[in-house]
Amino acid sequence: MPSSFNMNNLPFSLLTEEEQNMLRQNLDIGYFQKGEVLMAAGSVPEGVYVIYKGLVSESEAVDGEDDGQEHVFVQYQEEDYFGGWSAIKGKAIHDFTAVEETICHIIPTKTVLDLVATNSLFADYFTQNLAAKAEIMEQHSEDQDMAEFMLARVCEGVIREPLIVVEGTSVAETTKMMREKHVDCVLVKRGSRYGMVTGTDLLDAVVINSLPLDADVAEIASYRLISIDPDDYLFNALIMMTQQKIERIVVIKSQELVGIVELTDVLSFFSSHSHVIGLRIERAKSVEGLHQAAQGLNKLIKSLVSHGVKTRFAMDLLAAMNGRIMAKLFDLMVPPDIQPHVCLIVMGSEGRGEQIMKTDQDNALIYRDGLAWPEMHEVMQRFSKQLIEFGYPKCPGDIMVSNPEWVNSLGDWTQKLSDWSSSWEEQDQMNLAIAVDAKPVAGNPALFKAGRNWFFKSLKNNDLFFSHFAKVALDFDTPLTFFGNLKDKGQLDVKKGGIFPIVHGVRTIALEHRILATNTFKRLEALAEAGVIEERHAKDLTEALGLFIQLRLRQQIKRADEQEAGVDLTPNTLDLQSLNKMERDLLRDAFHIVKGFKKHLELKYHLGGR
Amino acid sequence: MIIPRTIRRMKEKLEHKTGPYAHLFEPYQGDEVVSLDCETTGLDVKNADIISIGAVRVKGNKVLTSERLDIKLKPPKTLTGESIKVHKIRAQDLADGIELEEALNQVLDFVGNRPILGYYVNYDIRMLDKFIRPRYGFGLPSKAIELSHVYHDIIKWRSVGGNIDLRFDTISKHLDIPMLERHTALGDAITVALMYVRLKYGDPPEVSC
Repeated sequence: MPSSFNMNNLPFSLLTEEEQNMLRQNLDIGYFQKGEVLMAAGSVPEGVYVIYKGLVSESEAVDGEDDGQEHVFVQYQEEDYFGGWSAIKGKAIHDFTAVEETICHIIPTKTVLDLVATNSLFADYFTQNLAAKAEIMEQHSEDQDMAEFMLARVCEGVIREPLIVVEGTSVAETTKMMREKHVDCVLVKRGSRYGMVTGTDLLDAVVINSLPLDADVAEIASYRLISIDPDDYLFNALIMMTQQKIERIVVIKSQELVGIVELTDVLSFFSSHSHVIGLRIERAKSVEGLHQAAQGLNKLIKSLVSHGVKTRFAMDLLAAMNGRIMAKLFDLMVPPDIQPHVCLIVMGSEGRGEQIMKTDQDNALIYRDGLAWPEMHEVMQRFSKQLIEFGYPKCPGDIMVSNPEWVNSLGDWTQKLSDWSSSWEEQDQMNLAIAVDAKPVAGNPALFKAGRNWFFKSLKNNDLFFSHFAKVALDFDTPLTFFGNLKDKGQLDVKKGGIFPIVHGVRTIALEHRILATNTFKRLEALAEAGVIEERHAKDLTEALGLFIQLRLRQQIKRADEQEAGVDLTPNTLDLQSLNKMERDLLRDAFHIVKGFKKHLELKYHLGGR
Repeated sequence: MIIPRTIRRMKEKLEHKTGPYAHLFEPYQGDEVVSLDCETTGLDVKNADIISIGAVRVKGNKVLTSERLDIKLKPPKTLTGESIKVHKIRAQDLADGIELEEALNQVLDFVGNRPILGYYVNYDIRMLDKFIRPRYGFGLPSKAIELSHVYHDIIKWRSVGGNIDLRFDTISKHLDIPMLERHTALGDAITVALMYVRLKYGDPPEVSC
């Protein structure tokens, strides 16, 4: 009975009502003092513990003569559960200690096993790895996205102002007016009633029923109008249209005509607008036109995210869009006879196709050895300036084509790559890391490929380089111990703690195995295919990185909305307070994966002793 | 109240030495107590009736909510306005209640010879005794543990001379124990059990008087 037990949290919300009752019947409550061990490693656990109040830490068993510093994995707080794995195994894997006074609900092992046997979703949740966990969560939040999608109301911007004609207007006149106003339907006022006439109606009247052109349009109108309230859900409008096989609905609020909703408007409201923006980019004939198209991108990102599109696909789409904008701008600014002799490359996150909000421009230009183009630097200056106006901020490290350092002939470029790779300077290593993620977006890609292939060859068997290069991935600690102090220290830098180690680690391995892809997800796929990384690990890393990026993006959008300038000042901060328990759970698991990956790097590149 | 009860219990123990209930009079050896609470129609033992009984076992530092008693009785005649306001149980809520005889049987079974824990526990015991005695010829023989006494004994050293606030809500607040479903028999029984465990196994609570 203890109704104090919250069934709304995963995984208990996966249980049926009957199973929840069964669970309630079998709950016990335990009280533990500060410092008391709830479950010792190796002991037989009583069951799964769900914290009602208090704080519990999970740590590696201390072997007597260790340096006394126990290694805390995770801390659990109110509503967290722990011991699921231990209960199923029948043996506790770690020590669980009460950090403060704690009251726990205890679900006896037998009950847990019964539930695992009867409910497969619940079982999956308990036993599966992160990828499966995330999938379960996604399925469940799908309803939410769906709800959001369906909750748009009719009045939210799809109502059209109707064209109204009075009774007695001729068919010919009506047709002319419709042509002028570019509408396909007109309302006829007859007395106090409205009737609807569509283009098809007019056509039928004249061609099939052979009515004269001066016939009264009120005669052919249909007065049986289907109407909807402006506060009704847009989705209902769609359902009505489908049921009645019509394409327009009249919006009426307390007997008053408000407007018309058309099927095409509803459909385009629901679909993302990426296609439209893409077309606008292609069709832009001037820098101004392109500017306008670029403005639409931020809106697109938001709508994609709020419609629950997987971040990874949103990123692919955005990278393609950004690339097209840059290519188009390059097209507009660089004379056609020069274009085959130069190549614009984007680098860093842009090169990997992993940026979502428009972040700094990292780009460079490679030109054919001996090219004579006196205006080159001047044009590149203007190019960078234009991109800034489009909303791509200046790169703080000045890694852009406006900086002559990053405009090189092919020979200079390869020389630079080779200098950086043999240098131990931090800045050089940084530059190299950015440069190896490069991707050509405009001009002649052959120039870029020549440079890259040469660089790959030069690195062959240079173990020292890889070992040094990989080291940076271990520079930042994984913020796992943060979790105990969630309440006071509610923020963490997700880039340093999670994204960078994965991206850089994968980059290093990919470089060593000469993977051509620059996107981290694609690199992981390629590495798994080549058998360099175990399939399972690649999958886990993919999920973890996806999660980091998704959570970060959501908060970025929120912060950008709150800021007046619409710019997020702390793009890599993750505010843990605004995450729900399930997300914190996933985040924790993801950081564990990062930790494991770092260990793997350490072994692989002999970075021990850190 | 305690002393007459002790004497009476010795007498009843003698009388039932060979009866079917002899085991109830054995001194208890285990480490369990039973936290028990009754909701009644009034506060006067003579005129009130029991409407629900909740009980839960406490073993060591665990409250065994999986082993519990949650009894609803048939609505008694005295179930009227005033008490309904307190416990919010109406006659219709007791529609599927069980007979008093059956309920008493279950209580005796569940409690056995374990000590009974409660908040103003004597009231609950007297209430039960009122119905048990005419039917079985004895009252609940178990030892009684009064939560407010346990609390008082621990707190008194910290507030010499002062009066100690022994109200249920105050104790629960000082012990930082969440109140689960106040004024349902089982809810109160669990809360009392948690407070007991907290007092028994935790550090003495900080009290500023």
